[in-house]
Amino acid sequence: MTMLSRVADRLYWMSRYLERAENTARFTSAYTHLILDLPRGTELGGWQVLVDILDAEPVFKKHYRVFNEQNVLRFLIADLNNFSSINYAIKAARENVRTTRDVLPEETWEHVNELHIMCKDMAEKSVGRRHRYEFLEQIISRCQMINGLLMTTLCRDHPHRFIKLGHLMERADMTTRIVDVGAGAILERENNNPAEDTLLWSSMLQSLSAISAYRQKIGPLVEPDPAVNFIFKEQTLPRTVAFCLKGILEELQPLKNNETAIGIAESALRKLTRFDVKKKSYEELHQFIDQFQIYLCDLDDAITNTWFLPIPTEPQEA
Amino acid sequence: MNKSWKSYDSGSFFDELLTSTGNPRLAARGIMNFLRNLPGGELEERRAAAELAIRDMGISFTVYTEGGNIDRSWPFDIIPRAISAKEWHRVSTGLKQRSRALNCFIDDVYNKQKILKDGLIPADIVLESTNYKPQCQGVSPRYGAWAHICGSDLVRNKDGKFYVLEDNLRVPSGVSYMLENREITKRVLPELFENYSIMPVDDYPTQLYKTLASLSPQQNRKPCIAVLTPGIYNSAYFEHAFLAQSMGAELVEGSDLFTDDDDCVYMRTVDGPVRVDVIYRRIDEDFIDPEVFREDSKLGVPGIMRAWKAGNLAIANAPGSGVADDKVIYAYVPEMIRYYLKEEPLMESVKTYLCMLEKDREYVLKNLDKLVVKPANESGGYGMMVGPHASAEKRREFAKLIEENPRNYIAQPTLSLSTAPTCIDHKVEPRHLDLRPFILQGKDVWVTPGGLTRVAMVKGSLVVNSSQGGGSKDTWIVESNK
Repeated sequence: MTMLSRVADRLYWMSRYLERAENTARFTSAYTHLILDLPRGTELGGWQVLVDILDAEPVFKKHYRVFNEQNVLRFLIADLNNFSSINYAIKAARENVRTTRDVLPEETWEHVNELHIMCKDMAEKSVGRRHRYEFLEQIISRCQMINGLLMTTLCRDHPHRFIKLGHLMERADMTTRIVDVGAGAILERENNNPAEDTLLWSSMLQSLSAISAYRQKIGPLVEPDPAVNFIFKEQTLPRTVAFCLKGILEELQPLKNNETAIGIAESALRKLTRFDVKKKSYEELHQFIDQFQIYLCDLDDAITNTWFLPIPTEPQEA
Repeated sequence: MNKSWKSYDSGSFFDELLTSTGNPRLAARGIMNFLRNLPGGELEERRAAAELAIRDMGISFTVYTEGGNIDRSWPFDIIPRAISAKEWHRVSTGLKQRSRALNCFIDDVYNKQKILKDGLIPADIVLESTNYKPQCQGVSPRYGAWAHICGSDLVRNKDGKFYVLEDNLRVPSGVSYMLENREITKRVLPELFENYSIMPVDDYPTQLYKTLASLSPQQNRKPCIAVLTPGIYNSAYFEHAFLAQSMGAELVEGSDLFTDDDDCVYMRTVDGPVRVDVIYRRIDEDFIDPEVFREDSKLGVPGIMRAWKAGNLAIANAPGSGVADDKVIYAYVPEMIRYYLKEEPLMESVKTYLCMLEKDREYVLKNLDKLVVKPANESGGYGMMVGPHASAEKRREFAKLIEENPRNYIAQPTLSLSTAPTCIDHKVEPRHLDLRPFILQGKDVWVTPGGLTRVAMVKGSLVVNSSQGGGSKDTWIVESNK
């Protein structure tokens, strides 16, 4: 059975938004923990780091003046002006499910709707430290439940394919952003105290939920180069950039008219494979990630143009 | 006995669950015994549970207001309405008969027009009706079936008999709520199902699929069926999605479809264009094809009428079906049954005064305080006047409307709609209700076991439409042979 272009578009975005909500919840939670552990005087770029990950400074500045904890957390958790806030992402995911529920397992709508109601009711109250952790945990586990539901019940055909594409695209995007901003904050910090390095890099892996995998595969000591290398290239961990790109290629294969999209995804994967993190300055890492982000944008465009936009048809009268 | 029932009194109205002496009717015995013996406060707990279930299931409908559209939760009353299977058998037989006659009529009007030539119905009321679409002249859909999905509104009068109030042949809605109501009842009153034999309702999507599939122009392959919705802002969008999902059909909007030079309709998909065989349209026919009907329609598909006329596409309900969904035509349905089927009508109709006829009009104008006046082709309870409840000013306004445009108005005696126990603010009170069964007609005719019971939540009110504050109840057809 085939699928409407419009539906493919909405499923792709439902999936991106769910992944975005989960990711935002993860790095917000990890950063909150980190801040509690850091000795006073360690300057990590403060709460602004979280806004930088979302590349959302202009939007933030429109509505807030100071990058303090209260403002940043409200912006990330509850603010509907921020397209990457948890509240907005969940709302948008729900809207997309509402219009595609006919192709999804029956329970999907019910779960996403419940998640939306919970988020709407609790977001504003969860900005403060007291309820924040519990709220973020709820968001993460409910998103995981919905993903689990989809992955264990959906037929492996078009709906699954576009959901997976959305999920992997968003994850590759978010992972590279977190590495970019995280590495920047760690490497460029003032009063650089090497004793804190392990703590900081561990925290970054934590926010990508990659810390235990790293310890198993690489070892207990978290060091900059192996950490970046791991999160970029590890073949077996679903959070890594290489894993996402391979998954994207896999899902593009069975689609018609896939040449452009596959071309871009392959170039991106080649570039990633060739990148050697050793002896690179932060500036070089940042440049690499910038270029890599352009590939992701192009890939998103290619997917949109090939499968989502109305197909040009035979000329019709008027 | 639970105290919330103590003061229950349905007065002179027919009550669906209780007899005039306050004893449960046969079909309602199990429900009443259970509810009356619930410990105090538990009815309220169950009601709250139902509310939560509705919220979680995301059952909603959209209400248009000045401040934009609001997605409102579906108002549901947990006390089911019960009808005996024996009585239902009679009703459904009558409804099938009615549906067959109505379809014969539509097919006749768009082809030979025998009934008009024979003078049973004045030709001008049919041919000058806005619901008559000359663009459909000469088309013969399969099995002579035009109104494939019909939602007939029934009310039970003081005499205990069911009357057909109107037949909705254009795009009747509400069936998904019938199905969801049963789901909720199963969740919140599961004990009731143990000792009862209640006819299941969840067969509807299968029956609808069968009906639609039987219309496909390409009978040698699995038909491609699409539900055409005006989109997410339509009040019944929830239902469109629900039906598409439960039939495994595509839910499409106008922009998902196009008509090609071969006069076939295609969907835009990720694999390229795919041909559609049957469209279940939930868009008013005026909007389905800007080439033929309203040019400004953004909801429709240019060329879809070409495809339909060429026989490359089935549309349910067929465009033009609304010609029989006119309150003036309603008055002639008993005649149609005699004319086309050579049978006597099995269902009662309500006495209808046609304001276009001088004698009727005189009577109506003299008796406005006793009658219900309705515009001939509005639905959703809009633009009507309930005489006994209307102010003198309102009645004068309607008298003027009738004199200005008599063809547009009909009047009927005010029926005493039956009541049923309904939870209102921790108590149980009688509220008026109606019933909308759905009749499917393709190769075969099929009627839902029961239908959607709509209840006016406001005390004394007769307006049950959800757009105007109505609620609904689960409807049980009960086998009572024990």
